[in-house]
Amino acid sequence: MKFHDESQNLRVRLRIIQVIVLVLLAVLGVRLYFLQVVHGAYYAERAENQRVRLLPIPAQRGTIFDRNGRILVDSRPIYNVILSREEMQGKDFGSLVAPLSYALALDPELLRDRFNELKSQPAFESIIIKQNATMADIQWVEARQAFDHPELRIEQQPQRRYPENGVLAHVLGYVAEVNPKQLEREEYKAKGLKPGDIIGQEGLEATYDNYLRGRDGYRKVIVDSRGRIQDEIEKVLPQPGQDIVTTIDVDLQEMAEEQLRNSPSGRGVIISVDPRNGEILAMASAPTFDPNLFSQRISTKAGRAEYAALIKDPKRPLYNRAIRGRYPPGSTWKIPMAVAGLEQGQIRTENSGLVCGGGITVGNKFTRCMGHHGTPPLTTAIKHSCDGYFYRLGLKMKLEGIMRMVDEFDLNKRTGVDLPHELISWTPSREFKKKFQPKAAEWGDIDTVFASFGQVYENMTPLSMLRTIAGISVGGKLFVPHLLKEVRATPAMGEPGRFDYRPAREARTFTPLDASRPNPKVVPISPENHRMVVEGMWQVVNAGGTGGAMQMAGFDVAGKTGTAQVVSLGKDVGENKDHSWFVAYAPAYNPEIASIALVENVGFGGKFAAPATKAVYEVYYRKTRPDAAPPEVAENKAAKSQVGLQ
Amino acid sequence: MSAILETRRFRDFDWLLTLLATGIVFFGTWQIHNAQPLENYWKKQLIGLAVSLVALFAISFTDYRKLVHFAPAFYLFGLVLLVIVLIPGIGIRINGQQCWIRMPVVGQFQPSEFVKIPTVLMLAYYYGKPRSGVLGWMEIAVGVGILALPIGLILLEPDAGQVITYLPLLAVVLFLSSVRMWLVLATLALSVVMIPAAYVVGVKTGKIKNYQQQRIQAILEPEKADRRGYGYQTYQSILSVGKGGVAGTGGGSTEYSQSRLKFLPEPHSDFIFAVTAERTGFVGSILLLIAYAVLLSRLLMGARRAPDRAGMLVIMAIVGGLAFQIFINVGMALGLLPVIGVPLPMMSAGLSSVLATFIAIGFAVSVQLRRFVN
Repeated sequence: MKFHDESQNLRVRLRIIQVIVLVLLAVLGVRLYFLQVVHGAYYAERAENQRVRLLPIPAQRGTIFDRNGRILVDSRPIYNVILSREEMQGKDFGSLVAPLSYALALDPELLRDRFNELKSQPAFESIIIKQNATMADIQWVEARQAFDHPELRIEQQPQRRYPENGVLAHVLGYVAEVNPKQLEREEYKAKGLKPGDIIGQEGLEATYDNYLRGRDGYRKVIVDSRGRIQDEIEKVLPQPGQDIVTTIDVDLQEMAEEQLRNSPSGRGVIISVDPRNGEILAMASAPTFDPNLFSQRISTKAGRAEYAALIKDPKRPLYNRAIRGRYPPGSTWKIPMAVAGLEQGQIRTENSGLVCGGGITVGNKFTRCMGHHGTPPLTTAIKHSCDGYFYRLGLKMKLEGIMRMVDEFDLNKRTGVDLPHELISWTPSREFKKKFQPKAAEWGDIDTVFASFGQVYENMTPLSMLRTIAGISVGGKLFVPHLLKEVRATPAMGEPGRFDYRPAREARTFTPLDASRPNPKVVPISPENHRMVVEGMWQVVNAGGTGGAMQMAGFDVAGKTGTAQVVSLGKDVGENKDHSWFVAYAPAYNPEIASIALVENVGFGGKFAAPATKAVYEVYYRKTRPDAAPPEVAENKAAKSQVGLQ
Repeated sequence: MSAILETRRFRDFDWLLTLLATGIVFFGTWQIHNAQPLENYWKKQLIGLAVSLVALFAISFTDYRKLVHFAPAFYLFGLVLLVIVLIPGIGIRINGQQCWIRMPVVGQFQPSEFVKIPTVLMLAYYYGKPRSGVLGWMEIAVGVGILALPIGLILLEPDAGQVITYLPLLAVVLFLSSVRMWLVLATLALSVVMIPAAYVVGVKTGKIKNYQQQRIQAILEPEKADRRGYGYQTYQSILSVGKGGVAGTGGGSTEYSQSRLKFLPEPHSDFIFAVTAERTGFVGSILLLIAYAVLLSRLLMGARRAPDRAGMLVIMAIVGGLAFQIFINVGMALGLLPVIGVPLPMMSAGLSSVLATFIAIGFAVSVQLRRFVN
């Protein structure tokens, strides 16, 4: 110490400061050692993860074709506005609602709901806030990306395009974003889906989603803290989804839809199948809806209102009546009854007559027939739809016989069609009666009479009814009705063994989803019995029967009308008119096409459902027999690029 | 006589200290370039170094005793600068803090960095007289007053980070001016109790702002901190340091470094140490800490050889200030301390900081140069 100092041990105090300084530096050194030497690798990996990002390249979804190769559904690129959480940097979601909803013309409520949903999903990276952005939206976002809204960006995405006017809507279904509830379910987890993925939610889109959905590709890029791409390290191209060829014939489909649309009630079902293999040629359910709502507009205010209106509509347009509607089949029920009566030995071909009697009295209740038919043979009973005949046939078969028939024709099972949400029909049984009329739970003879003519104890889905009729038309072979003709193959991508390798996806044809059920299910029908029923059905159309309106020159149609009472006789007017049914197949003795038509609340079957079926058959006839077609109706529709888009 | 004096001056001049400080600034300039090669911070830093070296020589060849003698004048001038910076139109407001004055040639400068020097001189002026006996209460109160004036003005800017760097100046001076040892220990004990208590009270009363709380939480529970919010800077800094590993990312391109990809905020100033650690690894960072240790030890040695109490106090206050600032800044970069905007001496980009540090070192050299003169 240079200067004289008498105060408290200055030398020691200087030493203390020196020690403190060195200790502080040593603390920093030790911490440095732990961060860099001990845990260096861990932090290096973390740093790597935050600068490397996988950007998905959405795969094109497979195209859906009709049986003649016409495009039903395809995808085209659209632009979406994406919000990335990485860039929020503490920004409050609430503060974004007003500017974004204003600038991008979004519903603020919807945006707020969406943000609230996200709060429960801490892991989200980015979400779509506006689909199908307009040029103005894109310019707005790009102008503000650098400063005001770094959290926004534009991404391209293929979007599903469905036929206009709701053509085939119930069959095709639609795609939409996978919803949070689905993501909680095992079968969706197993598919490796993540929030924001687009999957088939209804119809064929849902059934064959695994084939239609492509395998997304990705870009591995280096990004800065704002997510701006600095460099690309690796790129794997997406593998497009597999194309699907359906069994649908668009010309038949459009005619079927047109017939329903133009019917007095505008509600009903027309289905046509090839009875030789179960291929569905047309499946129309009216009224219909526009599936583009779900793939394109659901996130807009107008789209939401449209959806709400669909849900509330008393005509239930979203509902596929072909597999979910359950209707009393009316007199079409007499066809399986006739076959079963013959096969069960209650009537014989050589002596099939039963008394009509203008009706029947069971106990003290008289149930009438619509006419007086004497003692008709089976063919005549079918031709004139004689209720009295079938009351007595039912009483001979008893409930057990009717139930055996139901079981044989699979009327109490799903048809196994390749669409989701198919319902099971209601068929006569003692249990059903108990549920239906708990106060008079015992099954009596009057119930057997009711069960014989398709008004009380049967509520059939049109498709299950058609499957039975089609099966009978080919002598007892019940095929599983289906819409898939072929899934097309997709070639492999990339090099085997390398990171970008995607194996080929193979072609396949339809196999029933429930493999344990035989396809076809064979119901033994002797040739004589078969011929007799067909003869009766041929007479319905061609020999002055109830279905005369169906008669076609050069095409032998067999059919059966049905008029299903909705309310008791006398009140069947206006909205409560009977349902009009018609089942048919042609040519009668070598069938290629079988159909069912149901028009809700219009009245007598022969008057509405039969002409509608005829219109469809005329299209079929012209297509399959072009040489026989009258020249003035042979219009060429093959020039259309896509259904409903011309 | 004058010639002899000149040769002696050059011979006795503390070349090691000056070279060490200059070396650290060069090293820092390289890191500034690594952090932001496309900006011209590193060029400005070199210009700053040249200006600072001139200042260092000028101060060291001036007799510090004269400067201490005029300390009250410098101190007053400093306070005037701190008032001027608060005047709207003269002081520049950046991020809600008004702590810069625009200057015609230099660009902008930060008075609070420089006023440390007159404050140190003022403290040395007051406590530098030969002592006999322990420090009285009045004397302590005057020291607190000397510090309180600039601190009060800086709090008006407000710049809490700078204020913190003023505290060790008084602490060191009081400690070396024979403040009673029990008082020192009592203060230490009290702060161990009071700091957490003050934090709790501050949180309750809302005096400690939400972002400040979060910055502190980020240190206490780094794994729970919101990495997208206020814990972000600390997390990114730790990540950058850890990523450096033993040898750093090497001499290659910095294109995808933490700072270039903008994950690391303020890489050229507050977080320059994280840049250094990422780039040069444990080897480079520990060498930098050793360089600081040598520089501080060299200053301490000078303090022991100081010809009078005032000179010793000037050097030791500088040592205290530098050591404290290094610890705060590096501790922040290593996730030991909350984020406080304090530059790393001689490393962080900024003319004010480098110049102030070099002037301080100039004083230290000046004191040493006069160790044989009486």
